[in-house]
Amino acid sequence: MSFLQSLRRGARFAVACLGLGALGACTTIGPSPWEKDLMARKEMQVSAYAPLKAADNHVYFSKEASSGGSGFAGGGCGCN
Amino acid sequence: MQLRKRRKGSVREQIAALSAGLLAVSGIPAAAQDNPYAPVSGVQDNNFGPGAAYSELDAALLVYQEAGGRVQAIEPSANLAVHGAHGETFSLGLIADAVSGATPNGAVPSDQVQTFLTPVMLSGGHATVTGASGGSTIISLPGIPAVRQYTAAANTLPMDKGFHDHRGAIDFNWSQPLGHISDVGFGGGFSREQDYQAISGNAHIAQNFNGDNTTLSLTLNTELDSSFPFGGVPAPLTVMSGALKSPSTRDKTQLGFVVGLTEVVSRRWLLQFNYSFDSQSGYQNDPYRIISVVDATSGEPTANLYENRPNHRQSQSLFLDNKFDFDPFVTDISLRYFKDDWGITSKTAELSERINLGRSFFIEPDVRWYQQSAANFFHYFLNGSDPLPAFASSDTRLGKFSSLTYGMKVGFNLTGRTELDLRGMYYQQTGDGHPADAIGQLRQQNLFAGTKAAFVFLEYTWNFH
Amino acid sequence: MAVSLSSAATLSVDRCGCDYLAVFRAMATPCEVRSDTDDATQAHAAAEAVEAEARRIEAKFSRYRSDSVIGMINAGAGHEIEVDAETAHLLDFADHCYRLSRGLFDVTSGVLRRIWRFDGSDRLPNEDQIRQMRAFVGWHHVVWKRPVLRLAPGMEIDFGGIAKEYAVDRALAAARGITDAPLLVNFGGDLCVSGPRRNGSGWKVAIESVDKERSAAGLLHLSSGAIATSGDARRYLLKDGKRYGHILDPRSCRPVEQAPRSVTVAAGTCVEAGLIATLAILQGKTAEKFLKREGARAWCIR
Repeated sequence: MSFLQSLRRGARFAVACLGLGALGACTTIGPSPWEKDLMARKEMQVSAYAPLKAADNHVYFSKEASSGGSGFAGGGCGCN
Repeated sequence: MQLRKRRKGSVREQIAALSAGLLAVSGIPAAAQDNPYAPVSGVQDNNFGPGAAYSELDAALLVYQEAGGRVQAIEPSANLAVHGAHGETFSLGLIADAVSGATPNGAVPSDQVQTFLTPVMLSGGHATVTGASGGSTIISLPGIPAVRQYTAAANTLPMDKGFHDHRGAIDFNWSQPLGHISDVGFGGGFSREQDYQAISGNAHIAQNFNGDNTTLSLTLNTELDSSFPFGGVPAPLTVMSGALKSPSTRDKTQLGFVVGLTEVVSRRWLLQFNYSFDSQSGYQNDPYRIISVVDATSGEPTANLYENRPNHRQSQSLFLDNKFDFDPFVTDISLRYFKDDWGITSKTAELSERINLGRSFFIEPDVRWYQQSAANFFHYFLNGSDPLPAFASSDTRLGKFSSLTYGMKVGFNLTGRTELDLRGMYYQQTGDGHPADAIGQLRQQNLFAGTKAAFVFLEYTWNFH
Repeated sequence: MAVSLSSAATLSVDRCGCDYLAVFRAMATPCEVRSDTDDATQAHAAAEAVEAEARRIEAKFSRYRSDSVIGMINAGAGHEIEVDAETAHLLDFADHCYRLSRGLFDVTSGVLRRIWRFDGSDRLPNEDQIRQMRAFVGWHHVVWKRPVLRLAPGMEIDFGGIAKEYAVDRALAAARGITDAPLLVNFGGDLCVSGPRRNGSGWKVAIESVDKERSAAGLLHLSSGAIATSGDARRYLLKDGKRYGHILDPRSCRPVEQAPRSVTVAAGTCVEAGLIATLAILQGKTAEKFLKREGARAWCIR
């Protein structure tokens, strides 16, 4: 096999590897998709229990000077 | 060439029948062939996740009570979220609250009885008072508009006992993936009570990277508030009176943004970091709140003035939240640092520990510590011999204090699709009620008007297709 | 059976979270069995039943083994062969699917692997080769009168398109006969669950993406039914920038044109899901329309 042919073969092999390797998530930082089972649980969701967090934030907003921070846009009521 | 166009779904039906037939003759009983399309009796489709369109309904009730006969509130709410099969979400929320009780009016306690005057709402010739119950009297003299009068006993923190208010609010949100963008959306809200209205809007965009382990988001939010207090908007730092005032409304606008980063650091650790910026312009006073002017020697209140706060307020905050899942323990630690140009800085730390006991029950105790510095125009009182400052407020909300919250949440996973959560919380503010610059009789008084409060919150969540 | 003795030596069953996870290799695929139970004995017994069934089906229907039923059928091409009941059921199924799909699903298309080798290279067969192979492809050339099968010389039967899904369904049924514990049987991405987990929630299944940037297309909560994926993520040819997926259209004897890279379908059984996924890919560029018209619960990746 000539040098060029082997080079081409290597390149093709590399492309095939990238195609297969991407599934193995070898270039991401952090867990792979099958390791994110715990993240799907309700207690690990950032947006879970929204009414409860809203109730807490309502109390803090009406009694304290700071508002928001956790992404919840405080306010909307006259408890100023 | 395609399959001949037949009745919709007919090919799949036939394949389903053929497959069932194949497996049946080869010895697999029919019970093994649960079909997620057609709910078979006795089999529940509990598929809630991407690709499944489902809805979630939340109904909640908050009951809130402050110590010492102060504010109490009941707040029912309902929220509906509809999830489409391709990541779209629409949510609609309704909330109502009824608030009543006593609230400090901002004046200092005195060793003498104090009398306060406020306007009376006149509607169609009849006098309406925001709660004549609780110690207010209406005084009307011929030729002079009626006023409401209430007193504070000696050596007690002056409170306006008769206030109550009803509020209703609605909010909605829409979000969906768009092309290569992971999520875009917008939302709005409207809230109205007897003397206040707020209209809000927001828009956001978010992008996932790194195999969906990293999410960057930007949210813009804006709000237009209108204050229309009973009796009109008082001119700032004027003497409290029962006269009708004008203008009748003042507005405030708010504009802000939040930049967020969410990172799945490892299988068990989720991290969230937010930077928020907020800018408010317009009327930011509490139109009912006063500040006492006291005699420079005796410390006796000589006049009560309506408070005044600056027209502009700009604030920033940094927020960090960490969630750790070490089954059956889930720990949540969050920190927040806040700073604004009114001179207030605050620090918040919150810790909660969820303990899953068995499959359908959990308890979650939590504790929150908070500390804030006073606004640079906060005063417990004004010294009569000093010139009047441009801005002054004695609202505890802007003062220096720290607070502790103790809470406990319990949750019951009733079926695969419903959950009942109950939370109790106790909140206590602590501040220095005996500042060094207290004059005369004020040295004997506790000037701190902070709260102790408790609430109970009940929430029922129901998922359905 | 000799099969189960050797399997007992290679079967590893370990605790994984709340489950027992058994892992083995069969049908050239990584296989796993998850049992949501605290009873190690039950988990072992269920896993062994699954492995036994997988190896049985592999031994019986593998085209790589001359002593398999398929091997014997293919060796006997040109003659009449009487098949056993299970093979007869599969041939009936293949016959119905061939007619239902108007020739797209064809168990005689396996011979095409002699000219189409999907190894990531750029070696495509030429026109002559394709024309020659055409003569040996087509279920309509087969005489099937249960229980007797007659293949024309040079033709082959290949159950590769449904064997794995069939094995999943049968293996799960075998394990369900042994234990009531919630089970998930997964043969290389084709999987089926016995029902919801002990706590009532669904099994969390990540749907793989074929794109480099995204490692998962989504997370599904499955509390009933099965999932099967058809696609070119692992086997393809690449020539002049054009990607040739390994699903061949038996009518043209070429890879399907403009097919989605991957189709994942959720259905009541793995056989059903696999067949719908395969039919969808065979639609080529109208795959999504087909799935939508059929009301299938599916995800396409292009």
